Amino acid sequence: MAIHYEGNVLKRKSYGADIHPVISDYAAQFKAGKLNRRDFIQSATRLGMSAGAAFAITGVTPSRQILAATPKKGGDFRVSMNVKDASDPAIYDWSEKGNVARHMCEPLVQIDANNIARPHLAAGWRASNDLKTWTFKLREGVTWSNGDSFGADDVVATVRRWLDPKTGSSNQGRFAAMTTLIDTGKIDKHGKPEKSRVARAGAVEKVDDHTVRFHLARPDLSLPESFADYPALITHRRFAEDGANLMKNPIGTGAFKLKQFAVGEKAVLDKRRDSPYWGGDIYLDRITYIDHGDDPAAEIGALASGQVDANYQSSVEQVDTIRSLPNLNLLEMVTAQTGIARMKVTAQPFNNKNIRKAVQACVDHDRILAIVYRGLGAVAEDHHVAPIHPEYAALPKLRQDYAAAHRYLAAAGRPNGIKLTIDCVANPAWEQNVCKALVEMCKPAGIQISINIMPGGSYWDRWMTTPFGFTSWTHRALGVQVLNLAYRSGVAWNETSYANPAFDALLDQAGGVTDANDRRMVMAQAEAMLQDDAIISQSFWRSVFVAANKRVHGLYPHVALEHHFNKVWLA
Amino acid sequence: MLSFVLRRLGAMALTMLVVSAVVFGLMELIPGNVATMVLGPYASDEQKNIWLSTNGYLEPAWCRYGVWLANFMQGDFGHSIRFKVPVGDVLWPRLGRTAILGVSALAVIVPLSLTMGVLAGMREGSIIDRLISVIGIVTTSIPEFASAVFLTGIFVFWLQWLPGASTMSDGFEAVQLVLPVLVLVLYDFGYIARMTRASMIDVIATPYIRTAILKGLPRRQVILRHAFRNALIAPFTVIMLQINWLLSGVIVVEFFFAYKGFGALLLEAALNRDVFVIEACAMIAVFVAVATQALADIGYAFLNPRIRFGSAD
Amino acid sequence: MGALTNIGAGVVALWIFVALAAPVLAPFEPNALLSPFATPGAPGPDDGTFWLGTDHLGRDILSRIIWGARSVLTYAPVAAFCAYVLGVTMGLAAGYFKGWVDAGLSFVSNAVLAFPVLVLYILVITTIGASALNIVLAVTFASAPGIMRIVRSLVLDLRNRGYVAAAETRGEALWWILFVEILPNARGPLIVDACLRLGYLIITIGVLGFLGLGLPPPDPDWGGMINESRALTLAFPHMTLFPCLAISSLVLGLNLMADGLRKGEVRS
Repeated sequence: MAIHYEGNVLKRKSYGADIHPVISDYAAQFKAGKLNRRDFIQSATRLGMSAGAAFAITGVTPSRQILAATPKKGGDFRVSMNVKDASDPAIYDWSEKGNVARHMCEPLVQIDANNIARPHLAAGWRASNDLKTWTFKLREGVTWSNGDSFGADDVVATVRRWLDPKTGSSNQGRFAAMTTLIDTGKIDKHGKPEKSRVARAGAVEKVDDHTVRFHLARPDLSLPESFADYPALITHRRFAEDGANLMKNPIGTGAFKLKQFAVGEKAVLDKRRDSPYWGGDIYLDRITYIDHGDDPAAEIGALASGQVDANYQSSVEQVDTIRSLPNLNLLEMVTAQTGIARMKVTAQPFNNKNIRKAVQACVDHDRILAIVYRGLGAVAEDHHVAPIHPEYAALPKLRQDYAAAHRYLAAAGRPNGIKLTIDCVANPAWEQNVCKALVEMCKPAGIQISINIMPGGSYWDRWMTTPFGFTSWTHRALGVQVLNLAYRSGVAWNETSYANPAFDALLDQAGGVTDANDRRMVMAQAEAMLQDDAIISQSFWRSVFVAANKRVHGLYPHVALEHHFNKVWLA
Repeated sequence: MLSFVLRRLGAMALTMLVVSAVVFGLMELIPGNVATMVLGPYASDEQKNIWLSTNGYLEPAWCRYGVWLANFMQGDFGHSIRFKVPVGDVLWPRLGRTAILGVSALAVIVPLSLTMGVLAGMREGSIIDRLISVIGIVTTSIPEFASAVFLTGIFVFWLQWLPGASTMSDGFEAVQLVLPVLVLVLYDFGYIARMTRASMIDVIATPYIRTAILKGLPRRQVILRHAFRNALIAPFTVIMLQINWLLSGVIVVEFFFAYKGFGALLLEAALNRDVFVIEACAMIAVFVAVATQALADIGYAFLNPRIRFGSAD
Repeated sequence: MGALTNIGAGVVALWIFVALAAPVLAPFEPNALLSPFATPGAPGPDDGTFWLGTDHLGRDILSRIIWGARSVLTYAPVAAFCAYVLGVTMGLAAGYFKGWVDAGLSFVSNAVLAFPVLVLYILVITTIGASALNIVLAVTFASAPGIMRIVRSLVLDLRNRGYVAAAETRGEALWWILFVEILPNARGPLIVDACLRLGYLIITIGVLGFLGLGLPPPDPDWGGMINESRALTLAFPHMTLFPCLAISSLVLGLNLMADGLRKGEVRS
């Protein structure tokens, strides 16, 4: 992926195409000192350049290591990561589970290091003009590890299983456009008819052995990206009949096969040798995941003493420690991962917009990013669309304004201040720390916030119902994806209970526009609406960090912390 | 003797029953949904209800408790929600690992603290005595998590002599035990040493020992042959009780060094509402506690001739 | 060893003074986000100095330790006091009345003692949530049985004394016998136990903070401070070192006092 200048124009060798001319302009401005590094990187990546390439242009070591040396074959790549139960991909709720399984069971689409959706088990796809019919062509010549050929039957069986309520899969929410609510004929305990969400008839259609067509109830621009999410791994057509347990029947199309699996301890995957992998050469002989529990000290100790070669994620507090260890590299990636302090608009006192605006006015997002995350990320603007999203529209900067906060409080009838409680998870630490910073920033306005730390997984029992909570959101490739998942009226993950028909209309409009620049203009209005309604206080988009031993090559921190190890090799 | 043992067994059974019921009740009180733990936060209510009814969670609490109890008495501890295997598959290996850790720790603590206690007690008031006492008091004042942090800093990061984590993922490696054992030893030996010292001083002050010394027998011989055995009575009880303490005291050490033992299991299960694992662990903990208490009482009676032969004070 | 006892008492008194004088002594607000990762001795705003450096969020460590003393020396003694009230009452009842009362109370306390303490805390706190009140309740509940045992054995011994029999003959009220005749004579061992137990409780609250179950933020709490900064020990040892020294010194002081008092007890 070498980048070079031809005259004044940047060219990218392996793709043979010109870089977007605007990026050349940005590069010139950066070199002349008129554009700072962060803005250049944001602008370039927004227009489609990879973060690694953009970093390279600015003279910073890219987070992706360029394959200058010849890859060496062999070796056991040991990674420290929580090993959770991964028996059924359809019900995965943690990215770690996807990481173990993805080496054997692959998705149709994969988000690469540049935040672009690329065909993986799918060879390509085409959408109808109304974005309601999607035809996916499947890759030919792929075999399962038990000898069967991969084809449309597997995809159809897997997707139908996702949509079945009995499976309990979150994909049902992701692919809600393929579902419908039906009346089961029963009455629930409140006397209302019970409804069930099932697949729409004919939503999943097998066209031929290598073509599948999906018929959606409404246009969905982000269908390919949804197929790239970690619970969307394609399992064998007989997966459900054989007991729906990937750990007991590890049949997959991937380059590795599962050798050993123990929850909370370790997972071992060996290179598959029965047939050559459809994706090319694989260098590693084995991948071993070792679970170090929830204590970061154990993991750092293991990295420092060479017991593992890499980890899943390092928290921002560990950045200095890792930089000081001579045998480790710190890999960094700008992402759209974030955390939001969200207020439920149907609950007291947040049903009063003035209270929400008061909280919003107290916060200085730049300072929170600087203090809580060491400035390693991008500032957010309370509307959940990130600078690295292609359709991001920049809005005027939000400022901390205590006078305004006092005015809003007075307008809400609380001139002397108000007491609030925010729920927050215990780990990871940065989430708590944002809450602590929030507490300090709201104090001068008389808003007293107390933090309720919920240990273990207990926050996830009430993330949808609590009036004021801090929820982390993972990276999604497109801005409209998150807005559709979280802020559309009545959707499953709408934790703020925000229901604004005008906003929904804007989302529908944006969802029908394929060109990113045109979509940006609609998004500007949608973003402004969310920001004005002040339903979330979102301070930053965080970069993610992976610590790796210097002998590891070809590893990059994926935006959603996915593990793509097919091109990793050990020196 | 037999009636003593039978009474203790009866009390143990009753205690285990009551504790299991209380733990079950506590788990019921925790707000929240087991299905969320399994299916994740993004599952719909309908999906969660289906899972709950398939797995028998919609039955009333006392009914589920009864089922658990009946299974437990037949040796079936249930299925772990978190690990997706029968509880026994996770429990016994982990208990074994904690036993290894505990035995290793005791193997260092017992000789070390007894020796230091006896030395200190023999020369009461001397520099050795004061030094040992001060060291003992200081080390018991430093919490385990504090000493773990600093020992790791010194031996893993700075000197790079020892491995940082003790997961034993490649099978048993003794070097990975060093730091956890060191932390446990540092925290615990001071208490036993001081108990031994106090007991030693008391015994040396008894008329029987003083007479022996006054009669002209060499002091060292008297102490090592006569006082020593009597002085060990109280520490023996304490050591028995330390076994019980180790079972829960290791939680911090296992958590810090990622040592996959019983304490870490209990902690994870408690934080993740894995009710069958918690119950099984609780039963084991109660069993160990009552058993060590009983052994301590028996041992005390056995070793202390005054109690055994019922003489007056 | 009188010197060591005095040193211990002195350390405890020093921390009590620090806790009381916190508003005056602390150079900065304990929760104010100032300048992250400052090294000890670095200059701070308003001509102040970060004598012990700042933590990862920019809060002055010295101020947090000073205010943390206040929180430790409030919650631990309160919890200990409540545990004592409960434990002493139970112990007096069990020791004096014997029979069924004793059997029942002893059974309950043995059941609680048999259960690993830390897990008891975890279960209680994950059930009712982590707040200062809940931690005090959990600690009280877990410590009372141990106290009950001690009081019970002391009462069993003391109730046979002459003055108790005399009071019974006189027809004194029950509470008089228990609290005026018996309890004061048990105070020696109880005071020693109190010192030790206080130290132990301080460590326990620290451990709970270490496991993430402690006092809710952002108020400074020594165990919580260690927990938050232990991943950074290699690069910034001062963030963990000073709170560790604080906890250790306070507990050490209490242990030294207990030791000295116990010697006084034995001799008398």
